[in-house]
Amino acid sequence: MTVEAQTIAAHVGSIQVRRGGSGDPLVYLHSAAGEGEGLALLDELAKRHDVIAPMFPGFGESEGIEQIDDMEDAVFHLLDLFDRLELDAPAVVGLSLGGWLAAELATRYPERVSKLILVNPAGLYIKGAEIKDIFGRGPGEMAEDMFADQSHPMAAQMHQVEKMLASGGGNRGAIPFELIKPQLQTMAATARLGWDPYLHNPKLRKRLHRISSPTLIVRATEDTLIPAAHSEAYASEIAGAKLVEVAKAAHLVSIERPAELAAVINDFLSG
Amino acid sequence: MRFFNFHLMPYPALPKDYDGPAWVTCPNELFDPDVGHQVYNRYLDELIYSEELGFDGVCVNEHHQNAYGLMPSPNLMAAILARQTSRVKIAVVGNALPLYDPPTRVAEEFAMIDNISGGRLIAGFVVGGGPEYYSFSINPAHAREKFQEAHDIIIKAWTEPGPQEYIGKHYRLRFLNTWPRPVQKPHPEVWIPGVGSLETMEFVAKHRYAYMGIPYFHISVFDRQFRLFREACEKEGYTYDPKQAGWLVPTYVAETDEQAREQYEEHFWYFVKRLLPGISIQPPGYTTLRSMENIAKGAGTFAMSLNTWDEVEEGVYAVVGSPQTVYEKLEANISKLGTGNLLGLFQLGTLPADLTKRSMELFAQEVMPRLRERFPEGKPILEPSEAVAS
Repeated sequence: MTVEAQTIAAHVGSIQVRRGGSGDPLVYLHSAAGEGEGLALLDELAKRHDVIAPMFPGFGESEGIEQIDDMEDAVFHLLDLFDRLELDAPAVVGLSLGGWLAAELATRYPERVSKLILVNPAGLYIKGAEIKDIFGRGPGEMAEDMFADQSHPMAAQMHQVEKMLASGGGNRGAIPFELIKPQLQTMAATARLGWDPYLHNPKLRKRLHRISSPTLIVRATEDTLIPAAHSEAYASEIAGAKLVEVAKAAHLVSIERPAELAAVINDFLSG
Repeated sequence: MRFFNFHLMPYPALPKDYDGPAWVTCPNELFDPDVGHQVYNRYLDELIYSEELGFDGVCVNEHHQNAYGLMPSPNLMAAILARQTSRVKIAVVGNALPLYDPPTRVAEEFAMIDNISGGRLIAGFVVGGGPEYYSFSINPAHAREKFQEAHDIIIKAWTEPGPQEYIGKHYRLRFLNTWPRPVQKPHPEVWIPGVGSLETMEFVAKHRYAYMGIPYFHISVFDRQFRLFREACEKEGYTYDPKQAGWLVPTYVAETDEQAREQYEEHFWYFVKRLLPGISIQPPGYTTLRSMENIAKGAGTFAMSLNTWDEVEEGVYAVVGSPQTVYEKLEANISKLGTGNLLGLFQLGTLPADLTKRSMELFAQEVMPRLRERFPEGKPILEPSEAVAS
C-alpha cells in the first residue's frame, strides 16, 4: 500500500496531502524537516490505516504560510483541514514540530483527537534540558543530532553541504541556490512558529491535563536535539500516557527507523 | 557630489588566539572597557575632524552584540556629534526599526537630534542585520512587516498632527503624538541601506528615499544593485536623482601607492578576517526567497572569501593608493555606478589614529576637490544619461 499525493483547497490556500491505505484515519504531522515525499513510514502505516499526511503551509507544495503567524494560527489551520477532509476525530501522530502542533490541537480541542502519538515532540521549555539550536547551526553539526547513523544518505548530504560551506569561507553564496532553497523555505516556515519563544509555548505544559485521548510518547534513544526530559515531561503531565523508546535512531526517527516506528505506532493503535 | 565619513567604530583588540565569529556569540569577556574608553573618544574625534576637513557629513550605524561595530545606539553618537559639529550632516544609517518597540522612540530620538543639530539629521531606517535577529530574539519572519509598520508610524508622527491613532498588526498606538517634531520639513532626508533585497529597492524608489549600497562585495555587485535601483525608480515613473544613491567603500590615501598598501593592508585583513565572520548569517524568513536569490547572486563575492590583495584591488573592495590613484579609481567607479554620495570608510579594522587622520587629510585636500569639480552638484553622474541629456 502506497500513499499518493493530492492537493486540497484549504482556507489558507492549496495544501498538499499524501493519503493512502484503509482502516481508521491516522494523521501524520511532519517535523521542521518537512518529511513526506518518499517517506517509507507513511507506506508502512498505510498497511493498516487510512494515512493522511498534510504538508504544513510553507512546506513542500503547500501555500499560505504568510497567513500563519504562530501556533494558534497553525491549530486553526489544522481544524480547517480536518473539516475539509471530513476527519471528525482521527488518530494523530506528530514528529518534533508536528508533535508540538498535535499537542496544541489536543489541549484545545480534545474531542478532535481519538488517539495521540507524540514522537520526539518539541513544544516545552525545560530549564537545564533546552532544545538545541536549529536556526543558526551548520548542517554538519545538525546532522549529528538528526541521525544516529551518519552514513544515512540524508546525513551524508548534510555533511556534503557543510563541506561546500567551508570551502567558500562560510559563505552561503558558494552553494547553488536550488540546493538550499527547500531548506530555506522550511526553516522560514518553522521560524514563524518557533523562533520566539524558541520551539515552545510557555503555556502548553499547564494545559496538557486537557488531553483526554489515549496518548503515546515515543522517544528515539539517540535524539540529541531534544533531551529525554521533554518526552518524560509530556508523559508525566498527560494522564495515562505511555512512554516508549525506539533504539538506534536520533531526532528524525521517522526517516531513520520507519519500520520500527511503525511497529510501535501500530502496536499502540491496536491496543 | 556629497562626501561622508562613515565610521563603524570597530573593536580593534580581539585577542590573536580568538578565531570565532565577531557576532552574536563572540564572548563579551573579550571586550576591554579600557580599550572601549579610548576608542570611543578617538573615533568621535575622527568624525568631528571631518567637518574641519570639509566633508559634507558623517555617518554612524547600529549593530548589537558584536566586535565589528561598537554602536548599539548610534543615536547616542549622533547626539554627541550634533553638539560638537556645526555644519556637517549627521547621517544615522540607520536605526534598526524592528528592534524598537514601540518605534515611536525612533521618531522621538531622531527629532531630538534634528532639533539639537538645527536640522542636520539624515534619518536612516534599516531592517537590522541578520545577526540582530539572533541577538534580540526577534522573529525574522516578521522583520519586513514590522519595518513597514514602524516606518509608517515614524513618518506619520513627523508629518501629521497629533494626537493620532495607529492600529497595525504589530504595533497599536492609541495616542501617537511625538514631542519634539523634527526641524526639517516635511521630514529629514531618509536613507535606506541595502544588500540587494528587491523589496528594499522598490520601497526606496516608491518613497523617493536614497539607497545606500552596503560594501564588502565585488564592484560588479554594486553595479547590478544600482542598475536594479534605477530600474525600480523608472517603474515608479521617474528618473533617479544621483543624490538617491550612495556607495559605501573603504578608502585609504597615502603619499604613494606602495606606502598606502604597506600601511593599510594588515588593518584591512583584520577587518575582513576577524570582524566580518558571522555577519552574513541569515535568519530564516528574514528575506523573501525572491530577494534571497538576488542576494545569493552576489554572495559568492562577499569579502570574507577574499585571500589576496590582487582580489581586493580587482573587485574594488577598498580604494587604496596615492591621491592620484584614489581619484582615478573613485572617478571611474562613481561614473559607472551613478552614485551622488560617497560614503568613505576612512577608519577600518585596526587602522590606527595617526594613519586614519593622515589619510582623511590627504583625501580632503587632494581627492575631494577634484571629485567635486568632476561631479558638480545637481548634474547627472552616469555617462549614458549625460549622453542622453546632450
